[in-house]
Amino acid sequence: MKVILKCTRNSKQILKRFHSKDAKNLIKQHTEISRDHLTPEIALHLITQNCQLWHSHPDTCPFIDPFWAFYWPGGQVLSRYILDNKELFEGKTVIDIGAGCGATSIACSLVDAHHIIANDIDNVACECIELNSELNKTSVTTSAVNLLGGNDLECDILLLGDMFYDEITTNTISDWLDHIGSCPTNILIGDPGRHSFKNHPMKNKLEKVGTYDLPASCVSENNGFTYASVWQYRPS
Amino acid sequence: MASLRVLVGCKRVIDYAVKIRVKPDKSGVVTEGVKHSMNPFDEIAVEEAIRMKEKKLASEVIAFSCGPTASQETLRTAMAMGADRSIHVEVDANQAEIIQPIHIAKLLSKIAQEEKADIVMVGKQAIDDDCNQTAQMTAALLDWPQATFASKLEPAEGGLKVTREIDGGLETIQVKTPTVISSDLRLNEPRYATLPNIMKAKKKPLAKKKPEDYGVEIKAHQEIKKVEDPPTREAGQKLETVEELVTKLKDGGFI
Repeated sequence: MKVILKCTRNSKQILKRFHSKDAKNLIKQHTEISRDHLTPEIALHLITQNCQLWHSHPDTCPFIDPFWAFYWPGGQVLSRYILDNKELFEGKTVIDIGAGCGATSIACSLVDAHHIIANDIDNVACECIELNSELNKTSVTTSAVNLLGGNDLECDILLLGDMFYDEITTNTISDWLDHIGSCPTNILIGDPGRHSFKNHPMKNKLEKVGTYDLPASCVSENNGFTYASVWQYRPS
Repeated sequence: MASLRVLVGCKRVIDYAVKIRVKPDKSGVVTEGVKHSMNPFDEIAVEEAIRMKEKKLASEVIAFSCGPTASQETLRTAMAMGADRSIHVEVDANQAEIIQPIHIAKLLSKIAQEEKADIVMVGKQAIDDDCNQTAQMTAALLDWPQATFASKLEPAEGGLKVTREIDGGLETIQVKTPTVISSDLRLNEPRYATLPNIMKAKKKPLAKKKPEDYGVEIKAHQEIKKVEDPPTREAGQKLETVEELVTKLKDGGFI
């Protein structure tokens, strides 16, 4: 648990710089609680089509790039996979990289994972994850330290939900997974077929373990994606 | 139908709602500090390409723009609407002044070949210069069939069935792919980009190129002598009776 403890402490140091309570109030003010997604078991504070910010320009948004405010297709299928495959996660230690709204971490908690680190470098995302975790009466530890790139993370399972939205990040993650070491033993990826993921050489090391149709609300907002898949990292 | 790759041209123009002002020296119009946006006809072309992707007719939508650095905003808009990636051919301010449809057509034809595009789609004209030449020239350079002023696109055996807006009605033609399409006003109603899509667009790939990369020289083929405001309309007159009107018309030599 060495790495995990260190992360938690660092994230608190970062959080000192802004008032957690204000951030949580702002999140509540600009989001609505939604179950209109692939994991209706989980209620989430999200910016939906019913929220004013949905139609706003980033310049007028009180949050800087609130990736945590949306439940991206890759995250939705990964969370669905977790809820449908309880036995793989029960009693396990999990790190959720780029946790965003925290749905995937919350899914792990619902299937009785032992310890879950929801990792997102955006401090506001960590606040949102805490709100969402509380909403679902689950237990998730947040960390805003950049864990991406670290070796021998002390966890059993590493989760990457919809992280392949640009080429640089995709290459960084691909290199990382090649050198990540013997821990974690299970690495799972959720992705709808994003441009930088679709034809990446990393795909040769991935095995598709599940595919799910996306709900209508998600399809309408994701230009052309109608399903998304869960992949397991299996280097030969 | 096989999955098509669509290359869409997007021009950055002065926003349609802006009142255009002519420069005092009559060399052109004032562009500094003026709101710009995507040419509305190009927006329609982007929308149609994305709809083709949503219907699984297209596999990839690539947005293209040639212009100053600020053209990248236009490409981000296209990607926020749903284009997968984009190519910006950057020109300096002087080149931007003299750029003409032939240059764009040359660039589009080179990129279409390089990217193995099946469809090149552009607006029928840009609202700044109203040229209506790019689609036609691109088709000629590529020696591809063209379907201009499209108001409806449907998949057809080996290509597309296109309804075109022509004088006095509609014409339906069938073109084989690869092909060049230009969009007319009634083809569709473009979507507004939403916050999550604008955020995603920031992360999508945008390749930065120069005209030289495609062997295209930006050279003026014509010289602008002067640009002038349209004449201001003179005030009318209100007449009380038909007789008065007839007299006026006779005096003016109209009847």
